[in-house]
Amino acid sequence: MQRNKNIYFVYLMIIIILLLLFFTALFIGSSYINPLKIVQYLLFNKQLPKANLIILTEIRLPRILLAIMVGAGLALAGTVFQGVIANPMVDPYIVGISAGAGTGVMLALFLGIPLVFSHLNLLPIFAFAGALLTVFIVYQLALVGNKLPVLTFLLSGVALSFILNSIMSFLMVLRTENLQQLVFWLMGSLAASSWSEVKMILPYFMLASLLIFYYGKDLNLILLGEENAAHLGLEVEKSKLIFLTAASLLTASVVSVSGSIGFIGLVVPHIARLMIGPDHRKLLPLSALLGAAFLLFADTIARTLMAPLELPVGIITALAGGPYFIYLLRKKSKNIW
Amino acid sequence: MQVDKITFSYNQNKVIKEITMSVDKGDFVGVIGPNASGKSTLIKNLARTLQPIKGVVYLSNQLLNKYSAQELAKKMAVVPQNTNIDFSFNVYDIIMMGRTPYQKRWSKLKQSDRKIVKQVMELTDTYKLKDKIINQLSGGEKQRVIIARALAQQPEILILDEPTASLDINYQAEIYDILEYLNLKLGLTIITVSHNLNLTAQYCQKIFLINSGQIYAEGTAVEVLTAKNIAQVYQAEVQVKKNKLTQKPIITLLPQNKLVDNVNAKSKDFKIHVIAGGGTAVDMLQQLSSLNYNLSAGVLNSGDADWQIAVELGIEVVTADPFAAIKAEEVIAHKKLINQSDLIILTEVPFGYGNLANLTILQDFPTKNKIFLAGQNIKKRDYVKGKAESIWNKLIDGDNLRLITDQSQVLKEIKKFERLKMER
Repeated sequence: MQRNKNIYFVYLMIIIILLLLFFTALFIGSSYINPLKIVQYLLFNKQLPKANLIILTEIRLPRILLAIMVGAGLALAGTVFQGVIANPMVDPYIVGISAGAGTGVMLALFLGIPLVFSHLNLLPIFAFAGALLTVFIVYQLALVGNKLPVLTFLLSGVALSFILNSIMSFLMVLRTENLQQLVFWLMGSLAASSWSEVKMILPYFMLASLLIFYYGKDLNLILLGEENAAHLGLEVEKSKLIFLTAASLLTASVVSVSGSIGFIGLVVPHIARLMIGPDHRKLLPLSALLGAAFLLFADTIARTLMAPLELPVGIITALAGGPYFIYLLRKKSKNIW
Repeated sequence: MQVDKITFSYNQNKVIKEITMSVDKGDFVGVIGPNASGKSTLIKNLARTLQPIKGVVYLSNQLLNKYSAQELAKKMAVVPQNTNIDFSFNVYDIIMMGRTPYQKRWSKLKQSDRKIVKQVMELTDTYKLKDKIINQLSGGEKQRVIIARALAQQPEILILDEPTASLDINYQAEIYDILEYLNLKLGLTIITVSHNLNLTAQYCQKIFLINSGQIYAEGTAVEVLTAKNIAQVYQAEVQVKKNKLTQKPIITLLPQNKLVDNVNAKSKDFKIHVIAGGGTAVDMLQQLSSLNYNLSAGVLNSGDADWQIAVELGIEVVTADPFAAIKAEEVIAHKKLINQSDLIILTEVPFGYGNLANLTILQDFPTKNKIFLAGQNIKKRDYVKGKAESIWNKLIDGDNLRLITDQSQVLKEIKKFERLKMER
C-alpha cells in the first residue's frame, strides 16, 4: 500500500507542476501583460485590452497547448518504442520519422512550392506527408509475411533515416536561399504555433494516445519477450502493430508542427520509469504528463530567455534534461530500466 | 494431447519429419535428443510458437489452432528456455502476469487472482521473494518464479524447454522435485525438453528420444535409455547403470580416448583376452573397451564384478557358475577364446582351487604374447599352498611376456605388442 501512496503523490505533484507551468507560461512572454489583469480576466471576466486578449488567446494559449501535446506525444511515443523494441536507447525518431518529415519539407521548398499559401502555413502538411510516407515504407520493408520483426523494423528505419538525411542535405546544398525557416524547424521549435496546428494534430494525438493507454497493459507482457507474451495469452503481432502504428502516427503528427525536438522521447520515459517502475498502466500517463511539463517549461524559457529573440526549444530540452539524466544514471547506474 | 504427423521446416530444411506422438492427461513426459535433433522445434510446435507446415496438433480433442491466444493460455502454460527479463518488475508483479488470460485490460485485481498467486508462490517457495526485483534473483530463484507465473495460469498442461539449463545441480533437482510434486499431487500434465538424460530418466514416466527430426525411441526410461540407443543417437560411448533405489537408469559418459588417439571408431582387429576376477579388471575393461579393442575375458564367475562389467560392455566371456570351481567344458571354451587372441592380460587376481585353471591354462600357450600385472607379489595371492606360485614362476620365464608393476603402464605395453603385430 505504501507503493500506491507514492504513486498518488507522484501524480499529484506532476499535475500541480503542470498547472503552475501552464499559468506561468500564460503570464509571461516577450510583450508584457500585467499578470494581475490576466487573473482578473480569467476569474471575473474583466475586460482586457484587445491587443492583450489576442496575444493571450491567439498566441500564448495555442502555443501552450501545442507544447503540452508535443511533449506528451513525444514522451508517450518514446515509452512505447522503448517497450516494444525492448531497447533503452530508442527514441521516436529512430524509425526515420523526423528525417522523412524534413525531406518532405525540403522537397516542397526545392520544387518551389510556397510554404505559406494565403495565410495558411503549409510546412506542417508537407512534413506530415513526408513522415507518414516514411513510416509506411519502413513497414513495407520490415514486413516478413504478415509478421513484423521488431529488429527488422528498427533497422529499416535507421537505414531509411540515413538515406533521407543525405537526400535532405543534398537538396539543401543545391538550394541555399530561403532555408532559415527550414533550419529553424529542423532544430525543433514551437515558434510557428497557432490554432490551426493545434487543430491539425489534435485528432491524431487523441486517437493514438487513447489506443496506447487502452492497450498499455500489453506492453508489460511484451517486455517479458514476445514468446512469453504469446504464452500468456497475448496476440503479440496484433499488439505490436497497434503500438507501432499508434506511436508512429503520434510522432509524425507531433514532428510536423514542432520539427525534431530531441531528448524528450528518449529521456522522459526513463525518468518516468525511475520514478514509478515499469508497469505501463502507471508509466504511460506519467510519462505523458512529464513530457508535457518538461516541454512547456523548456519552451517558456526558449521564448523568454532572450526575448524578443526565440531560441530553438530543442537546445533547451537537451541542455536542461541532459545533466538531470546523467545525475539519475549515476544514482541508479546498475539498472537503467 | 495428440500430435498427428507434423512436419516443420526452416527454409526448406526439414527439422521435424512426420512426428506422431500422444501425451495423456497426467503424464510426465521427457523429450530428449542431441543438438539439432529438432526437439526444441518439436516443443515449439506443441506450444504453438511455431506452426507445423504439415500435420496437426490436438489439445483436449480440439485443434490447437482453433484456440484463441487467451483460451490457450488458460489450458497450456509454457516456460521458455530464455527467461531474460531486463526490467525491474518485482516477483509479485511477474507472477501476477500469469493471471492475464483471466483478466480484462483495465479491471481491478480480483480476490481470486490474489489467492491463486499466493498459492502458487507457496507451492514454488517464492513467497519470500515477492518484493524482490526479478533481475536480482539467482538463476534457480528466477526459474522458480517463471514456473510460478506459468502455474498462475492454472494450466492443464505445462511445457518446459530446458528448465534446468545453466542451473547448479542442487537447483536442478529442486526444479524437478517441484515438477514431480505438481504432476503427482495436482495431476498436471508436464512435458520437458532437456539435455540432461539423468534428470529425465529419474523423473519422467515417458520418454521420447528424438533424432534428426524423428522419434528414434519412446517408452519408459529403461526402454529408451539403453547404451545402444544413446550410442546410435548421440555417437557417444556411455555406461548405463541402474539406480539401486529407484531402478531408473543412470547414464555415465565414458572418456573418449579414441579421439585423442585418432584411431578410427571401428573395432580394432587386435584381440585382447583378459584373465581376471574379483573386480581386478573393472577399470581396465572399461578403458580398453572405450578404445575399441576387440576384447574377450574368462573364466569369470557369474555375478563377479569383472563378469558384470564384461557383460555390460558386451565383451565375449566364458562364464562359470557363481562361486563354483571352473569346470572342464569351461576350460575348453576358454582355450578357444585364448586361441583367437593376439594378447593375453593377466590381472592381479588371487588364485584359489576354484580358479587355478585360469593360470594353468596359460602353460598351453607358450608363444602367445602376455602381459602379467604384478603389483602385488604372487605369494600373497596364492591360496593353493604354493601351486600358483610355482606355475607363475615357470610362466614368467617364458618368451613374449612383460611383467608390469604399475597398472598405468598397461596401455603402453599393449601398444608395443600392437605395433609388433602390424609390422609383421
